[in-house]
Amino acid sequence: MGVRGAPSDAEVVARVLGGDREAFGLVVRRYEAGLLRFATRMLGSRDAAADAVAESLVRAYRHLASCREPARLRTWLYRIVANRCKSHLARRPVGDVSLDEAAPVADPTDNSAALERTEQLALVERALATLSPEKREAFVLKHVEGLSYEEMAAVTGERIPTLKMRVHRARESLLKLLEDHQ
Amino acid sequence: MRWWLGLALLAQPVVAQSVRPRLEGRIPNDAVPGVDSIVAVASGEGLPTEPLIQKALEGGAKHVTAPRITAAVQASLEQLRGARALLERAGDTLPVKTAEVTTVAWALRRGLPQPVVERVVAALKPPRAAALHAVADLAAHRFNVDSSADLIIAAIHDGLQRERLLDVSAAAAHELQRGHTHAEALARVRAELPNVPGPPRPTANAVGRARRVATPPPP
Amino acid sequence: MNPLDPRIHEALDGEREASALPEELARAVRPLERAVALLAAHVPGPSLEGRVLAAIRAPAPRRGGRFVQWLVTPHSITFHVRPVWSVAFAAVVAVLTLFPTGHHGPDIGEREGIAQFVGRFPGARSVSVVGSFNDWRDGSIALEDIDHDGVWRATVVLPTGAYEYMFVVDGERFVPDHLADRLVADDFGRENSVVIVRPARR
Repeated sequence: MGVRGAPSDAEVVARVLGGDREAFGLVVRRYEAGLLRFATRMLGSRDAAADAVAESLVRAYRHLASCREPARLRTWLYRIVANRCKSHLARRPVGDVSLDEAAPVADPTDNSAALERTEQLALVERALATLSPEKREAFVLKHVEGLSYEEMAAVTGERIPTLKMRVHRARESLLKLLEDHQ
Repeated sequence: MRWWLGLALLAQPVVAQSVRPRLEGRIPNDAVPGVDSIVAVASGEGLPTEPLIQKALEGGAKHVTAPRITAAVQASLEQLRGARALLERAGDTLPVKTAEVTTVAWALRRGLPQPVVERVVAALKPPRAAALHAVADLAAHRFNVDSSADLIIAAIHDGLQRERLLDVSAAAAHELQRGHTHAEALARVRAELPNVPGPPRPTANAVGRARRVATPPPP
Repeated sequence: MNPLDPRIHEALDGEREASALPEELARAVRPLERAVALLAAHVPGPSLEGRVLAAIRAPAPRRGGRFVQWLVTPHSITFHVRPVWSVAFAAVVAVLTLFPTGHHGPDIGEREGIAQFVGRFPGARSVSVVGSFNDWRDGSIALEDIDHDGVWRATVVLPTGAYEYMFVVDGERFVPDHLADRLVADDFGRENSVVIVRPARR
């Protein structure tokens, strides 16, 4: 972006590759919130998601030189985290998504929202957990993380028509499940 | 989208119009003439009057005695005068905007030292409510007041404005919660400017259950 | 599973103007929008930065080494809430933004925002909030304790701006919100809390 105090991703990557490993902290701060949310929705557990994202970021650091398009660092990071989540899920029996996580820690600036959202969020997470990992991934990337289908293709390695089909099926499944709980 | 519009509305003078109808039955009868005359003085001086009316109504709601209500309203008038003098010293175009007078009075009531307020006022064109609240928010978290003003002024120079400045103070508070010292927290946020997270989104449930309340009639 | 009307998918995929959807289709998709809003909320917790930087400062681990063991160990965070008064503690939140579409509450104007008032008042018979947004008039914003757990709430639409307020418990006791970040002397020997309502739409 070139704005003072806000180096672009490409600049940060160049700094890290040039030996300034502390600059990787900028990458972490810039993307951890989205990555953590994505992984939490995929795994159904905040702790498991934090582990997956931390491992992914360390892996990203160690393989940063292989990031061919530093300007698309975000998509590359999502790809690493998505793969990590899939590996994590593959090690567990199908459908075994942990939903027994404690209630969200109240954001001290928004504790009322946390108080009232816990129950509804749990319901939605349960519905999300019934989707296959592929559909869940497509839905979360599209609607929760706000990626375009082109970006999703870069993250998942799938073709856009395939991703669209997954998102459409995910929407239909979720709507049905949520209606059942109305 | 002017979030400070509320302040602006509050600051509209009630020119040559008695506020007795708004006060009667809400504050002790003994306090009505005194408050009414203080409001008339403020109006005559081109100062905002709504903060004075609100102070009187607050006292009435809290069952405060008439002399204390009158004294509090008089004290509020002095605060507004002081705020306008500060704006004039800082070089605001005359006549200074009543909304700015209200804003500066707020900042001083929230405990910001006059020199700090003057510095922020001089660094920024109106509206300044968000900037001053952001500095006061930082001060409330025990950040060094001068450094707090530096951070907010730096954020302004980096292109942040209006309510986004509140995100700067929130980000610094967040860094404190993460275990950083005050100095570290300020430095970290400053290094990231203008990239600070936005405010949390309300839940759909919160939006759905939000209801309108009868708001006071316009002054 | 019933297939959705293709127009819904087109709208959600950005291929069709969402605002042009017929009302029945827009209504059908609202549960999905509410679900997305919940899922899109920030996941709270400590930053991973220290953890990641500590890992990358360390020598590259052997496969399956102790570092990985450390990395996968969950870390917890505790928030301490200080007690306020013997019977009450309270918090208020000025909520700051709004979903761009799909809300099912009142229409909210450009110069309006949402304020949530929440307080814990076990045993209270009534709780309301008074402030410069309602001329300090008691009763116009009543909080509710729907599930009788002592937590009273109200969510209201207010014009954007900064306001002073206090809670009124049982119609007579003024209780400041000491957990609010912003407090200001009320010139009557007490402190008011301050809430800033930001525009719901941006």
